[in-house]
Amino acid sequence: MQKCDSLFRSVVLTLLIGLTPFISISQDNDLKPVTNKYAIKNATIVQAPGKTIKNGSILIENGIIKAVGSNISIPADAWIVDADSMFVYAGFISGMSNIGVGKPEESDQRDDRKLTGNPTDERAGITPGNSTRDMLNKDDKSIGDFRKLGFTASHSVPHNGMLPGSGAIILLGGDNSDNMIVKDQASMYSQLAGANGVYPNTVIGVMAKYRDLYRKATQARDYQKKYDANPNGMERPNPNKTLEALYPVVSKQMAVSFKAESVRDIMRVITLQRDLGFKMMISEVKQGWDAIPAIKSTNSPIFLSLDLPEWKEEEKEESDEEDSSDKKEPTRAELEEKALQSRQNEMIKNYYTQASKFKANGINFGFSTMGVKSKDFRSNLLKVIENGLTEDQALAALTTTPASILGVSSMMGTVETGKMANLIVSDTAYFSKDANIRYVFVDGMKYEFEAKKKKKKKEKGSGEEAIDVSGAWNYTTETPQGNGSGVITIKGTPGDYSGTISVSFNGSTNEIEDVVVDGNNLSFSFKLNMGEDITVDISMDIDGDTFEGTLSVAAFGSFPMEGSKEPNK
Amino acid sequence: MKKINIIIALLLSITVVIGQEKGDVLIKNGTVLTVTNGTLENTDVLIRNGKISKIGQGLNAPSGTKTIDANGKFVMPGIIDAHSHLALDAVNEATNPVTAEVWVGDALNPLDVGIYQALAGGVTSAHSMHGSANAIGGQCETVKFRYGEVDPDKMRMEGAPRTIKFALGENPTRVHGSGNGILPRTRMGVEHVIRSSFQQAKEYMEAWDSYNAGKGKKGFKGKAPAYDLRLETLADILKGNIIIHCHSYRADEIYMLMQVCKDFGVDKLVFQHVNEGFKVAPELAKWGAGASIFADWWAYKFEVYYSTAYNAAILTKNGVTTSINSDSGELIRHLYHEAAKSQKYGGLSDDEALSLITINPAKQLGISDRVGSLEVGKEGDVAIFNNHPLSIYAIPMVTIVDGIVRFDRENDADDMRIYPDPEEKIDVTHWEAEDHDRCMQNTEFLFTNK
Repeated sequence: MQKCDSLFRSVVLTLLIGLTPFISISQDNDLKPVTNKYAIKNATIVQAPGKTIKNGSILIENGIIKAVGSNISIPADAWIVDADSMFVYAGFISGMSNIGVGKPEESDQRDDRKLTGNPTDERAGITPGNSTRDMLNKDDKSIGDFRKLGFTASHSVPHNGMLPGSGAIILLGGDNSDNMIVKDQASMYSQLAGANGVYPNTVIGVMAKYRDLYRKATQARDYQKKYDANPNGMERPNPNKTLEALYPVVSKQMAVSFKAESVRDIMRVITLQRDLGFKMMISEVKQGWDAIPAIKSTNSPIFLSLDLPEWKEEEKEESDEEDSSDKKEPTRAELEEKALQSRQNEMIKNYYTQASKFKANGINFGFSTMGVKSKDFRSNLLKVIENGLTEDQALAALTTTPASILGVSSMMGTVETGKMANLIVSDTAYFSKDANIRYVFVDGMKYEFEAKKKKKKKEKGSGEEAIDVSGAWNYTTETPQGNGSGVITIKGTPGDYSGTISVSFNGSTNEIEDVVVDGNNLSFSFKLNMGEDITVDISMDIDGDTFEGTLSVAAFGSFPMEGSKEPNK
Repeated sequence: MKKINIIIALLLSITVVIGQEKGDVLIKNGTVLTVTNGTLENTDVLIRNGKISKIGQGLNAPSGTKTIDANGKFVMPGIIDAHSHLALDAVNEATNPVTAEVWVGDALNPLDVGIYQALAGGVTSAHSMHGSANAIGGQCETVKFRYGEVDPDKMRMEGAPRTIKFALGENPTRVHGSGNGILPRTRMGVEHVIRSSFQQAKEYMEAWDSYNAGKGKKGFKGKAPAYDLRLETLADILKGNIIIHCHSYRADEIYMLMQVCKDFGVDKLVFQHVNEGFKVAPELAKWGAGASIFADWWAYKFEVYYSTAYNAAILTKNGVTTSINSDSGELIRHLYHEAAKSQKYGGLSDDEALSLITINPAKQLGISDRVGSLEVGKEGDVAIFNNHPLSIYAIPMVTIVDGIVRFDRENDADDMRIYPDPEEKIDVTHWEAEDHDRCMQNTEFLFTNK
């Protein structure tokens, strides 16, 4: 009995110990892995863009794709994912993002105004020695958000400043931050971002400082080399963390990953690259169509942004409704407005056709996801495909091309034997409108997702299963003007809400209007007086007593906000 | 409805000339105001491949060349604005009293529709300047208004000499002295900042000279001076490679900077604004410094009260190379009126008045061998007016840059923006006024929470 007891205990212990790491990983409330072998059976496997196996299976073992094909043998102890009529793709790779990298708290410390022109490197946003690896947080919400969309790896870079630090290629999942790292020191992230209130404050300051630092680093590295070869009789080099962190860049061992959204910024980073000669990737390109020749001439790899301006459907002509005889001639103002609208629509279209234009010019690109909100990623991607990019090209931009740009083709980007088991399983062809991702494998770890239930067509005002939003909601928001906070107070009953919002920016309390509750989403707008009235739109996704949402101001963009409900008093 | 569609179709068909930088054009039978060689009646100007190839009567051009009938019209060199902040995404790096290393050429915005509006005022070139927040501000850029190009490199006037902005008086003392409690707080402080910067640059240069002299020697183990882009730039001023354009109002400080430059062997100096220039006109002439002024704009701050509309005439008659500038996205559209004011007040001749906005600013920017007058061999930058440009009835009709028509009043579409904002709210009843005076842009934050 004694013996039996201890055996029993050790079995229980082994099970517990064996399970512990899995328990902590399975955040997506999927089944707890009891095996490290998986077999995805009878799926359409898109191994690489344009290369498909019908009715194939994939065997995964210890994070590696062991076999792919229509006739592979599946061991008895493999967990079977019955993927009849499902589609399998290589996991997506974000060409550049902040996924997994926490945003450092902004210090409220008052600057010494005497040092405005000569701040510390850190205050000036010059921290090339920082790294994604050191800042990675496995619990960062963005990891789950993007994994859900099919991303399994990301070239993640730190936040803030003109030289925030080095990027790393990470996996979107792992039981600790360190084992999410696939490749450390993958790039030196740079952006034309001025330091708030100190030198370099503007784009001209940043560009001058970049040249200055680069040339200083080159000089210091050359001297250090000579000194290392034979220090005898030589003055000692001056140790300098900032410059030393740039040595791999000036030695062209590490590429600069430059964020450049607008055509002007693209041309600026190209100017810097031509002046200094560093290896470069250009990321988050939004407005690059006219810069194609210049981009081509630099031979720099490109990551296009999927953060696109809102698509506007052309207004339908109502001409055949009735005879034009009793129609009023449009006023000049109406004509002008129509013409302006039409030019704006043309402009918006450029953002959506950019990807196919790059393709037509023979430029391979990946997609970066720094700016795009996770909820917009798929719809924007499908819209880009509607505007001329083929599905294969889109898939390449999410898998094979970023893998090759980032130097990890031998590990990821395709569904092939020997590659890392980074996979997406969707219930139908991924690029079709109604597709749902059902499984994502990251490094052989399975994450399972529910298929979205088709929403019933909502009728306005029906208040279909709308939640009751009344109460007081505390919120905080981050904007370029600083962090804001306040309280949203909603009164009334479903269908008849009113309320106020207090705003810390100017200490005002404002009436809210256009309150709409749709499912768990609450939206409203209000007028904020900042010299003149600006309209602010708020959208909140409420989950119990907490919410996440956005605060948008037409001309300035959208900013994240979050908060929680005050307990009822 | 049909009508709307036609209008929209017309608007969409507006294509700005892209990709072409030099052109051919024949201007027939105009009154040609050469500025440097008098006025020629009934004369043709032929521009080939962007340059003026012939000026004379009965000229022919190869068939297919664009021809403009200038009968009854006035043909003058494209107007040059020696002081502008147009089409810049950043004007001041106001965080330090000396920022010689920054360069507004990095902030060019070729998409600014203000460029087109300036073309509609007959302007073909401008000096895009850093602002006046710092004693030694950033380097400037001489641009050509090739509107329609998206590449900022195509806006630059390739080969034009480098220039840099300095500033004296209230602006730098306000930003740094009163704003941050550092040098310069007074006019004396401004002088000190400039002198000590020049001195540091001199020492930097000497240190490099001695390093370079020793470098070739056997067994040399010396360490080079630490590279510094700010000192490099200041050293380039001392070497005579950069023209100083200095924001200034008062006679005493104008005189001061001439002395400072003399002490450091700097001989390329143009004063901007120079409202009290008339008090030191002989000294400016003797020194060889230029003056780029407003026709009659003053009293917007204390140091600008002592001013006169006779400034341009007094400076000109004293032999100072004088120009009239805009410093404003609005004034740039009628510099010809501003030049005409010098006639009303100071009685300058037509050529003297026109020189204020053509050949003289070209001299101040070091580009007078290329633009600023209508001469064979010069660049094909031309403005055509319906009346004499110094007449109050003058209207610019056609503006040509490097032989390419960039503005044509006959084909002037309503919406000439190149990149409309995809997210702006369209409201034709709402007009957002532009901020015309950008001299102190990007400095605002320094005046809060002291």
